Amino acid sequence: KTVFVIDHGPIMARPSDSPIELDVFNKPRGHGPGAFIPVTPVCKSLWTCAAEASFEYCRIVWDIYPTGRLIRFMICDTKVNPVGSWGTNQQNLTSITYHFAQLGVPIPDVRHGDSNIMHGLTAALEALTECSDAQLEKLKSPENKSKVHNRGRVICISSFREDGYIRNLESFFQETVIQINQRNFAPTHMPIHHCDFVVVNIYPNPPTLALKEHLRLDLSPLLSCEVISACASRMLASRLVSLVLQHYELASTTVTGIPMKEEQNASSSANYDVEIFHPVAAHADILKLKVNESALFIMKEGYGYKTVTLKWCTPRATSNSVEMWPCSSAYRISPVDVTSRPSSCLTNFLLGGRSVMLELPRSGTGGRTTSHMLAAHGGEIFLHSLLIGRSVIEDPPSISEGSGGRVTDYRIPDFGELMKENKLVPYLFTEPAGPTTPVERASNRMERWTQYWPMTISSTIVFNMGVHMESLTKLIVNEELTDDQVIECKKVIYNLLAIESRNEPLPPTCSGHRDRGAKGNRREEQYRILFKECEIMLRHHCRSEQHRRVLACLLECRSK
Amino acid sequence: MPLAIVLDVSLSMSRVVSTPEEEEEYQRKHLAIHGINVLLDHLNTHSKLEFVSLVVFSSMYEILSSFTRDYDAVRAKLQNIEDRDKTYLEAALHGVSILINDEWGQNTPCHVLLITDGSSSLNILGLSRTLLNGQRGSTRPEEALPFLPFNFPAKFHVIAITSPDDPSLAVSMPVYQKIIDLSGAEGSVFVPEGGLSLKSVQNMFTKIAELHYSSFEGTLRSGSLSDSILLYPPPRVSDAENMEVIHCKISKDITICGFVDLIDVASPPAVSRHLVLPVHSANKSDASLVELKAEGEGEDDLLATPEEGKNPSFCVLLHGALKVENMGAICNVGEKWYGLLYSWADSKKKSNLMLSIFEPGTKCIPWLGDLSLLGSFSEATSPGSFTTFPIKPNEKRSYAQSCVVWVQPGNLQADIQKILRHARKMPDKTQHFYKELNRLKRAALSMGFADLLETMAVILDRECTLLPHTAHPDCAMQLTHASAQLRLSRDVRHNITALRTKFTPDD
Repeated sequence: KTVFVIDHGPIMARPSDSPIELDVFNKPRGHGPGAFIPVTPVCKSLWTCAAEASFEYCRIVWDIYPTGRLIRFMICDTKVNPVGSWGTNQQNLTSITYHFAQLGVPIPDVRHGDSNIMHGLTAALEALTECSDAQLEKLKSPENKSKVHNRGRVICISSFREDGYIRNLESFFQETVIQINQRNFAPTHMPIHHCDFVVVNIYPNPPTLALKEHLRLDLSPLLSCEVISACASRMLASRLVSLVLQHYELASTTVTGIPMKEEQNASSSANYDVEIFHPVAAHADILKLKVNESALFIMKEGYGYKTVTLKWCTPRATSNSVEMWPCSSAYRISPVDVTSRPSSCLTNFLLGGRSVMLELPRSGTGGRTTSHMLAAHGGEIFLHSLLIGRSVIEDPPSISEGSGGRVTDYRIPDFGELMKENKLVPYLFTEPAGPTTPVERASNRMERWTQYWPMTISSTIVFNMGVHMESLTKLIVNEELTDDQVIECKKVIYNLLAIESRNEPLPPTCSGHRDRGAKGNRREEQYRILFKECEIMLRHHCRSEQHRRVLACLLECRSK
Repeated sequence: MPLAIVLDVSLSMSRVVSTPEEEEEYQRKHLAIHGINVLLDHLNTHSKLEFVSLVVFSSMYEILSSFTRDYDAVRAKLQNIEDRDKTYLEAALHGVSILINDEWGQNTPCHVLLITDGSSSLNILGLSRTLLNGQRGSTRPEEALPFLPFNFPAKFHVIAITSPDDPSLAVSMPVYQKIIDLSGAEGSVFVPEGGLSLKSVQNMFTKIAELHYSSFEGTLRSGSLSDSILLYPPPRVSDAENMEVIHCKISKDITICGFVDLIDVASPPAVSRHLVLPVHSANKSDASLVELKAEGEGEDDLLATPEEGKNPSFCVLLHGALKVENMGAICNVGEKWYGLLYSWADSKKKSNLMLSIFEPGTKCIPWLGDLSLLGSFSEATSPGSFTTFPIKPNEKRSYAQSCVVWVQPGNLQADIQKILRHARKMPDKTQHFYKELNRLKRAALSMGFADLLETMAVILDRECTLLPHTAHPDCAMQLTHASAQLRLSRDVRHNITALRTKFTPDD
């Protein structure tokens, strides 16, 4: 759980003094001199910088962790305006930006009075004591109760005037945590077990005064604290990006050598790089590689983190067959510069259903190692880590060399049909929940469908009878039979008797039956086996009174 | 896991073992070779796909056989082992470390089996001084044994071919133990129990083999169709960490729940992958066939048990069908634990049935959703009760929607350029123009970027004056309208809509 406390007071209305020229692309066109009126460059206010930087922070977190990582805001001016809640429906940028727009621009008038950060911090800590949905769920089971931890982080963005004020904030924060924890908590609230307090000072360009930064310090077992000072606009955003990596254990990968058509000149293409963030665990395998491959990890200029460079492998256009890669884990990603053209080209390519293999840069030996794969599933892009190195299951003997491998008359097309009949689809929660889960019901269904299922063509006559038997074999696997279905099954049996009495030959596939042999391929013998097998099948499926009626019918007919 | 046998071939290994009860005289070397053969026999019957390598060492090491499944080749090498000079454990560790790094890299767990004679040779005494006593001035352990700890996950066992009451063990045992500790691998020292003899060595190797190379035997089942199977490599007990540690052991019974198209499961993350090998058992044959025969009258003479390979196997049937249909079978491998069976080919020709075991739990693959909610397509009651793969998240990710980030000034400039590009192409692009304009307005309002709105209005006004004569008259009207609206409206809920002009196509 993270709470942003952002100052919305007059000081934040100050311009950041780093103007953005909006005229860059506009060349004066031939309308004679004076036709071109220059546009004054615009300047973001400190508030705008803080807002956009925290939006970026949220965007990255929610891209990679759509659930389970909660963020809300406390905006302080003369009063504290909470934005969002721990509720999962509030955990998205659309809702946050909407609330921000409602708040509007900070009022530059100093007479309104300074904003009260302290109140904001108190409100933030109070918010942290509120249980999230996941925590409430965990608290429900008594044995888990002691295991549920309540850890949080408060990120405070404002423009401070002096170091002493930040010291004060720190000690105020520490006292408040202790005070709040001493309360008696309602069942929906919890004490804070650990809190990380990050103070971010932002200042306009050029800096008016420099405040001391310090790295994360443990002030008490309950609290750690960090102070960061950044120049507004770009620097602030990049510092927050570095923070997000650290706070959520993310790492960066740069996909290099992406061939892309030039915007101006569609016939030529150049290579581009795209940087993405993902959980650091996706690098687990390459981290284990030799330490001397540290060339793999390149420090990103101007940012406090390293990025791994992996090479894009153009996918083969012809490979339509589904390949199962030896994938050990898959993590969501977020592009660093989401709106840039290379980024959106890459993400659109992936969202379109293609996948991209990523290769480690060639080492001295020149071998290629494919270490990762980027692919989208359901509109989300995942970075799959693949197993690298030799596998112990390489080059196994073919299944046809093992037991049962030399049998040639398996009923493979029939089993394929069975598989299609037993395909799984994701059920929705709204489905009336019975005593069994859908997957258990599917499992039971499989059990019924394979209750009597000869594996080879030569071991069955029933399943070689084609249309003569089809309605019986299809219906009998049902959980229950209706009266009409019983009649349908009986019809099949009567029909069999009829063709027997007419002494019609059985379909030619039946003649391959193993029971041929000494007694020859006599028709009566075949019919005898057919009815015997039919009986065995029906006995296997005797799960209801209705099923028993079908069996009884067969036995009755045969006894005549 | 791949096994590296590291055998001491120093002269001390050719010492003769004096055993009163046995007639023949054996050298320690022979006992060791006998033991290795016992181990290979065990592998041959229980774990045929295991890779084995053979390294011999004295003061130098030599790789006699790199990792192979051809156990007979390893045996053949064992026949022609020469005696060399003296024991030097550093060489052994060096050799095995290089061999494993070359073949398997650093991620594959390997088993190192060091076979030596347990005598207190000069080398052992030296190591004892360096490693255990830590005498001043002597080399530190990391200098003496630069290859420890192993840079790959390993099991490491030391086997001393000596009698348990050999006095030199008092010196050598602590050294072996220390080396195992330093290696960072799990392992222990083995000494034959109850005196040195062919029998005791054999027992010791059998014990090691059974301890580490027992195969996983289970049943793959669906209804009456079932098959005894071996999983290779044998699954290990896995620990899943999800707020609390759950210990999971894979069930012996693997049941098929249903089938999915491989294209839907894509490449799912898996904790481990195993070959599913059908096991031939003589007493088992096609159950339905047996029943049919049993009912037959005196036809038993025809029921000769089919030879191996001729007996139909469920695995082969399943594999064939999965391969043809490009599908996978979701199966239950334990309590709330699932896996996927599919056809997998290392090369184009040899394909196999493979089992990928997912992370324990039912929500291990985001795009398949909760696995316990997978139900039969044909049994679904209404079309609205299920969705299709892949499961789509409720919200789109930032890269899948038009998201506004103006951290880099270039991004803002590009957005403004885009609006102007559309503006010049009105009325064809009127819709796009207003869509982009509203997007910019919304973003500016949520960031409290008021100046931008004013500036944008100015830019639109200027654009109006810059319009070429060829421009459509609607263009100017829309631009003026948009710029006025930008100055007026400060409500995020309000979208600027196109001005209805006489040029607006009637709808």
